[in-house]
Amino acid sequence: MAAVKETVETVREAEKYKYGFFTDIESEKAPLGLTEDTVRFISAKKNEPAWLLEWRLDAFRRWLTLSEPTWAKVTYPPIDFQDAYYYSAPKQSAKLESLDEVDPKLLETYEKLGIPLTEQKMLAGVAVDAVFDSVSVVTTFKEKLAEAGVIFCPMSEAVKNHPELVKKYLGSVVPTSDNFYATLNSAVFSEGSFVYIPEGVRCPMELSTYFRINEAQTGQFERTLIIADKGSYVSYLEGCTAPQRDENQLHAAVVELVALEDAEIKYSTVQNWFPGDEDGKGGVYNFVTKRGDCRGKNSKISWTQVETGSAITWKYPSCILRGDNSRGEFYSIAISNGHQQVDSGTKMIHLGRNTSSRIISKGISAGQSSNTYRGLVSVHRKAENVRNFTQCDSLLIGDRCSAHTVPYIETKNPTAVLEHEATTSKISEDQLFYCMQRGIGEEEAVALIVNGFCRDVLQQLPMEFAVEAQKLVGISLEGSVG
Amino acid sequence: MSEKATQKLVETYRGAQSALPGAGGWLARRRETAIDAFTQTGLPHRRLEEWKYTDLRQVLEKAILVPAPAHDGALVLPELHSATAFSAIDRYVLVFVNGVYQPGLSQLAHLSKGAELCALAEVLHEQWAKDIVERRFDDARQAEDIVDLNTALMSDGACLRIRKGVKLDKPLHLFFLGADAGASHTRNLILLENEAEATIFETHMGEVASFADIVTDVALGEGAKLNHVKLQDESSEAIHLSTMRTRLAASSKLSSFTLTLGCGVSRGQNFVLFSGEGAEANVDGAYALKGKQHLDQFCVIDHAVPGCTSHTLFKGVLDGASEGVFQGKVVVRPQAQKTDGRQMTHALLLSRDAAMNAKPELEIYADDVQCAHGSTVGELSKDAIFYLRSRGIPEAEARRLLVLAFLDETLELAPHEDARDALKLLVSDWFSEAGL
Repeated sequence: MAAVKETVETVREAEKYKYGFFTDIESEKAPLGLTEDTVRFISAKKNEPAWLLEWRLDAFRRWLTLSEPTWAKVTYPPIDFQDAYYYSAPKQSAKLESLDEVDPKLLETYEKLGIPLTEQKMLAGVAVDAVFDSVSVVTTFKEKLAEAGVIFCPMSEAVKNHPELVKKYLGSVVPTSDNFYATLNSAVFSEGSFVYIPEGVRCPMELSTYFRINEAQTGQFERTLIIADKGSYVSYLEGCTAPQRDENQLHAAVVELVALEDAEIKYSTVQNWFPGDEDGKGGVYNFVTKRGDCRGKNSKISWTQVETGSAITWKYPSCILRGDNSRGEFYSIAISNGHQQVDSGTKMIHLGRNTSSRIISKGISAGQSSNTYRGLVSVHRKAENVRNFTQCDSLLIGDRCSAHTVPYIETKNPTAVLEHEATTSKISEDQLFYCMQRGIGEEEAVALIVNGFCRDVLQQLPMEFAVEAQKLVGISLEGSVG
Repeated sequence: MSEKATQKLVETYRGAQSALPGAGGWLARRRETAIDAFTQTGLPHRRLEEWKYTDLRQVLEKAILVPAPAHDGALVLPELHSATAFSAIDRYVLVFVNGVYQPGLSQLAHLSKGAELCALAEVLHEQWAKDIVERRFDDARQAEDIVDLNTALMSDGACLRIRKGVKLDKPLHLFFLGADAGASHTRNLILLENEAEATIFETHMGEVASFADIVTDVALGEGAKLNHVKLQDESSEAIHLSTMRTRLAASSKLSSFTLTLGCGVSRGQNFVLFSGEGAEANVDGAYALKGKQHLDQFCVIDHAVPGCTSHTLFKGVLDGASEGVFQGKVVVRPQAQKTDGRQMTHALLLSRDAAMNAKPELEIYADDVQCAHGSTVGELSKDAIFYLRSRGIPEAEARRLLVLAFLDETLELAPHEDARDALKLLVSDWFSEAGL
């Protein structure tokens, strides 16, 4: 009887986090724990050149000297970095020529996730690089992209086929010494996407990566590197999910963007890692370093993120505005429910003349969650005529959640014009009453109002994502009312 | 505790211990625990989040940390308008030179009935003084740790108690003058019982390399009202560290205003704790800095109970290679519904080398609240200057007008009318002198 009850409960749980399934695929793992041998093992598995192994080992040795950052407004039990697998790959026949050869179970998983690789090819015109645990499974639409000269492939392939580009740009935005998690990532990163848009090319389609942590006790450490050469444009989408597990899974990714003269990169994320169950058990620790470098004149980098998952989010997608007239944007929706803890925001480092940045952050906390916006706007002495506008609004749903705003504003140049404003409020009773007396249920009304609250950011998302994100906003808040 | 300045301060304490007020009593024991805690934490430094922009450890490295000697000979007031700013106002005056009370210079004739004013040493036997000294607002607050240094070394200060329902008839003016180089540790204790009212002015001046460490502890009873105006115009060698902690009972009101026109390195801390519903706190200020002056305003408003209102506005202009810092925090505790908390900071940079760092924080654990903060930094609007010039106003005058208008918004908030006018005059003088 107890077993039946358990099953019923499991099913009910699964409905809440619909990506919480686990695919039973045999996989190959690195030995448990993290030592120099683990790093060598990963590097060997990927047949990496000597310089990259050396780079990794250098990072690993540095990592040993670092301690975990504690300044963020999140609390969690200490992480045992030796009790995790740093590499896990689905076992399958050696080489893949086309989609048909991919393990059907894997494809099924992706279908469940809503990314039918085969069909999507036709319909959406979105090229997808899907990363399963640590290994990139398949990159669709390769040929069409190759025609335009765009390189879009898994990182390991880029290391083999375009070593000069990787060597030139890897670690140039987020150096191996950057911070605890970035250094860890540099040592053990196993997969990720590599994008290079050649001079003057407007990437013909949206590029997309889907990340999934499948194996138990594995950490995912992907490394994404996007280079937009002079005058090019690319829009990149990223989605993430993980199965539901009792223990916490670690995700420590690094994303590096480089925009050269007149180039533009638009980076959108819908992050929906497993947030943990109702009692705050399990869930993904999302400790991610994302940074874009507007290296050339008139370049532009735009971050858009919808954060709904993860037990803990520690993430600050940033822009280094080095080139004159460059522009950085950050649009974010961070929704926390249950026992989630979010400490997220951005950094806009103005180094060049006439650089501008815009930050729109919407934080929504429900349940017993904690939601912090932490952002830095810094203007260096030589940066003339800098313009920044920051707006962070927080919405509180229920009286056990919390919302915090921690903006840092540092100016060393008088010509800078910086504005920051923030508000915190709850959903107005009047709005709720208005919706409800029109026959809209309470939960639906809340979702509607929240969607309105987030509108500025949702508008920035590419079409396909915007629809998904809107639904996600509704789902994430389920159970937060009443 | 390895670095020199901390060690020197601890040695100073060991040397002065037996001569400090309250030896042999509860305070002596309290001083011991305070110095132990201070030895543990040491002087705050840049790696502490709440001291990120002001490295006190570094600032005090070369400072004179032994107590300033008792002043010998005639006293000369600095030739600054600030020295006489409040002279026209009918008030009680309490003068401290090098941190020591000077009865000969003070004017205290007949305080109104129900008001008691005395030096720190004379009040130590009273329970209220003990209560006020021993409490701490927030154990987790790094910025409050530095109060331990003051607790260990405090040697003098003004202690004011206003009895229930009594209104102090005239403002009380605390005048602090640094006449000789050296350190002073001052502790002021202020208790306003239920429905009591008082206005306090504070002036800090000095033309020497002094290190002034001042803690003012305030407790407001139900319905009590305290108006506080602080004027700081010190030399560019002076190091100023002040902490004001105010606890507000139900329906009480604090209006505090600080004008800083001169300092070397200054850190002004304001802690406000609401302990009763319906209370109100206004913590505002203005500053005008030049040269290499450094001013750090740190302000924590803790809404621990429902239904309180807080308002913070700091505006400043920065010229030369001066640096301004504003760090503010509004905390709304889980039960503090119906809170109204506002916090604004604006700065004008007048020169290429000036810098401003702002960090206005909100930390909110309750949902039915109205909280907002805002921050802007920029230079004078070229359009506005052009507009005025096109009306025949010379550029220098136009800039002056615009800057004064910018500061006027916050000067208006100074809680005493005559004092407000005096401060406005000072600000206007500052511009003539700065030649802007």
